[in-house]
Amino acid sequence: MNRHLNAFIAGLALAIMILIGLFGSRFVIYLTSRVMILSIFAMGYNVLFGRTGLLSFGHAAFYAAGAYGLGLYSLHVSSHPLAGILAGIVCACLLSVLIGFFCVRHTEIYFAMLTLAFGMMVFSLIWNMRSITGGDDGLVGIMRAPIALGLVAIPIIKPQAYYFLILLLLIVSIVLIYRIHHSPFGLVLAGIRENERRVAFAGVSLKNYRLGAFVISGTFAGLAGALAALLESHAEPFSAHWSHSAAPILVTLIGGLQTFSGPIVGSVVFIVLRETIERFTHNWMLWFGLILLVIIMGFRGGIVGILSRWRK
Amino acid sequence: MAKKGWTRRRFIQAGLLTTGAAALGGFAKPTGLWAATPKIKGPIKVGYQAVMSGTLAGYGDFHRMGATMAMEEINAAGGIAGNKLVIEFRDSTLKTPEAIQNARYFVDSWEADFLAGVDSSGQALALGPVMAELDRVLMVTHAATEKLTEEQVFKNGIKQIFRICSPTYQDGNAAAFVAKDLPAKTWATVSPKYEYGYTCWEMFKNTLGKLKKDVSFTGESWAPFGTTDFRPHINTILDAKPEGLYSTEWAGELITFVKQAKQARLFERITHVMFPVGAAMDVLEGLGAEMPDNIWISGRYFFLYPDSSQNNDWVQRFRKRWNHYPAYVSETGYATMFAFKKAVEAAGSKDTAAVIQAMEGMQLDSPAGRRVFRKEDHQAMYDVPWGLTAASDKYPFKIMGKQVMVPAKDCFNRPPFEGDESKPPF
Amino acid sequence: MSLESIVHVCLAGLSTGMFIWLVASGLTLIFGVLGVLNFAHGSFYMLGAYCCLSALKIMGGNFWIGLLIGPLFVCAAGFIIERFFLRYVYHLALPYQLLLTFAFVLVFDDLVRILWGGGSLGSPSVPGLSGSVDIFGRYFPTYNLFIIIVGPLVALGLWVLIEKTWYGRVIRAASTEREMASAIGVRVPALFTSVFVFGTWLGAMGGALAVPYVGLLTPGMGEAIIIDAFVVAVIGGLGSLKGAFLGALIIGLVSSFGTRFMPAFDMFLTFILMAAVLLLRPQGFFGKAS
Repeated sequence: MNRHLNAFIAGLALAIMILIGLFGSRFVIYLTSRVMILSIFAMGYNVLFGRTGLLSFGHAAFYAAGAYGLGLYSLHVSSHPLAGILAGIVCACLLSVLIGFFCVRHTEIYFAMLTLAFGMMVFSLIWNMRSITGGDDGLVGIMRAPIALGLVAIPIIKPQAYYFLILLLLIVSIVLIYRIHHSPFGLVLAGIRENERRVAFAGVSLKNYRLGAFVISGTFAGLAGALAALLESHAEPFSAHWSHSAAPILVTLIGGLQTFSGPIVGSVVFIVLRETIERFTHNWMLWFGLILLVIIMGFRGGIVGILSRWRK
Repeated sequence: MAKKGWTRRRFIQAGLLTTGAAALGGFAKPTGLWAATPKIKGPIKVGYQAVMSGTLAGYGDFHRMGATMAMEEINAAGGIAGNKLVIEFRDSTLKTPEAIQNARYFVDSWEADFLAGVDSSGQALALGPVMAELDRVLMVTHAATEKLTEEQVFKNGIKQIFRICSPTYQDGNAAAFVAKDLPAKTWATVSPKYEYGYTCWEMFKNTLGKLKKDVSFTGESWAPFGTTDFRPHINTILDAKPEGLYSTEWAGELITFVKQAKQARLFERITHVMFPVGAAMDVLEGLGAEMPDNIWISGRYFFLYPDSSQNNDWVQRFRKRWNHYPAYVSETGYATMFAFKKAVEAAGSKDTAAVIQAMEGMQLDSPAGRRVFRKEDHQAMYDVPWGLTAASDKYPFKIMGKQVMVPAKDCFNRPPFEGDESKPPF
Repeated sequence: MSLESIVHVCLAGLSTGMFIWLVASGLTLIFGVLGVLNFAHGSFYMLGAYCCLSALKIMGGNFWIGLLIGPLFVCAAGFIIERFFLRYVYHLALPYQLLLTFAFVLVFDDLVRILWGGGSLGSPSVPGLSGSVDIFGRYFPTYNLFIIIVGPLVALGLWVLIEKTWYGRVIRAASTEREMASAIGVRVPALFTSVFVFGTWLGAMGGALAVPYVGLLTPGMGEAIIIDAFVVAVIGGLGSLKGAFLGALIIGLVSSFGTRFMPAFDMFLTFILMAAVLLLRPQGFFGKAS
């Protein structure tokens, strides 16, 4: 029963996304594109956060690695978007292997603080290596060239066309992450979260599994960053700042920490809420903060958690 | 009203199909029929974004005061070609995605005819391609990077962007013209550790080097954004022992720097000091009597210049309306609305292409004096003085005593922005 | 390199370090006892500064009166946060606590802008400490010397409080063995509230002392200091006051010498230090290896 309902909801959501892409106004398409990119960022992040139980304050660095990787590739090598996205993902993946190697030695607050330190080092590097990164101006002039596939070329300069590319990649990400969650690997991760010692007794190398989760989440962050750079035609240093690492945490907690769809629902709420608040008041931080308080104090399981309890 | 009904109906159509779109329902934008704007049909809507939260929130307030006052005056006098002027403000923060989202909201959802504002250079540069796509005029009122007009407008041909405030030329080149007549032969800087700071210092060095052969540049210390403790930087400068100090610190950080430099008696050791944005109202009022005398300051506008009836009347009205002296972003925000008014009325249309054509080469008599929007790069040419700080009985803060004018035509880079001929001295 | 220069780079580093310590002490105390990493500590710092300025203006302009009265108002905010919000998330995972305090950061940043305006506010001079002293031919602000002296005094005071008083013993007991403490009759919830309020007061005092130190108040001023305070708390070994004191000294000196001799690195240096300590000695300088 539940399975059917979930499949129905997923189908409905997909239909809505396609309809938005076909008939939505330019602003709705833009905003939904941002929702999807944040969803990829948050879903990938949740492999580490919700699934493995590790809180990172440094994933903005991988997001930025994706954005700058794509930007530098498309400005200096080739403007092929898919190659650029791949370059961004590879950058993020390599960086997350490097940083993850050090960070997974710890857990809990020490892990969080280590990721914060490494993330801010990356931020500092981006800010200061002006000749490569453009400093605080960022990388300007990243263009969405057509996707050349042999004989045909798909133009993605139109927001609508690009929207569907993001949607496609979002679906691929969702499927991949779903598979990861339900693979033996994913089950070990959940085991690490629930009872680290027991998993260790079973002869599993905790560090390697943690590193695996770290790199997976970092890689998806890179994908999100690369897509964002194409969407905005720009890569900016603040995307590596620790405050940006807070976004997927916020989104996941709003949507529901240990649910699969929580990060997506949270992303929708996060962006729509912010946009709506700004239409009514200039004190958006005050209201956003108050709503957050209500969510934490009153809806602890997140929106998806509440809904599923309701259904039972 | 009719417009609204249309939106609603379309929204219902869409809503039948998509519940997801319902959350964003109000955003649905009429296309087709309404996309073709008839001969000026009001109101004229301007979307204005500036930083309104965080440590620079005060600048947002000053932007808003100027723009709002212009709106009130324009509407009281019959509006723009008979149409009411409406402004909506949004917080740009300092992050690029926010600025882009604001611009897209203004144009695609709120249906703005023009955009204005923007403080950060990174945001202004990132908005370039967005403005080309949205095809609306953006009048930049604060961001100073010369790359915006030289590269985005002139080289990349993004004609939708104009700038009404003076750019880094005023901070770098003009400062060098003033410095060449000072006895100081060694110069050092404490400046912001980001593009703005680097660019201005580079321009200052190049131009001064050309104007005066025997100068040298002996020290630099770069303060990260948000620096509250300048003492380590002050030590670096004191060790370098320059005769002149040049600093593009601005806003709160300049106030902090001056206070801490004073404690270290830096101004007693280095007598020739130049603050390109020292004439900003927040700095002058924030420091009050603590601002040392005989410091060279300038800005994008200084409320006592020019001594014309238009400017003096405006300052009086501004004082009456807000109980403040106008900051430079108040003036640029104010003048922006009148630039839009003049261009729309001249073009007889609020159509972007027509307005761009009207605005290129347009003259505008504003509180800061006569501005001319240079055709090639859309940069407003106007003169702002450099002056030496001095106390006055009339004001509770320091003002410019002795003034030196470096005209914009002599110190602004010129098209084609390549090679030495494009840079002063000409 | 002259002696004058070295001495002043040291002095600048010492005053920076002691200044960060004043803010980080409250953060460390709250983490050590309650186990909560409080993002809103930067907001307490900001509120302390604003309340001090307002109090001193109302009370006739004397800084010392503002310093005494201002931070007390912030304690009220601290009390409300602990008693009506934080108390209900102690049992939850770390992210919830962080998120809760983060929400308060947003609320306070905007409230300060609404109440005091978005523009920067300047500070009056401090009676008795407004001048500068000639040290090896270069002038150093008297107020910064004062900060250099106050820092260790606060550290000493905290040490006496924690190690030598009944209250300190109870705190130590409750922070290590929460259930045991309540079994022997300690009212742990009330104790936690008192510690949180005390930590709040320390943060607010840091802010009030920042009024003349920084010379300028702006909304959002707490965000810059909170990261420095985090770094210091981490380097010292989370929850260790002794470690935080030493950590603050090191960070202050590193940033001062770094600015002078390795200007390209700035915050990179701080964070590499933080990472190195976390990797090599996660328990901090004084913590026992586990």
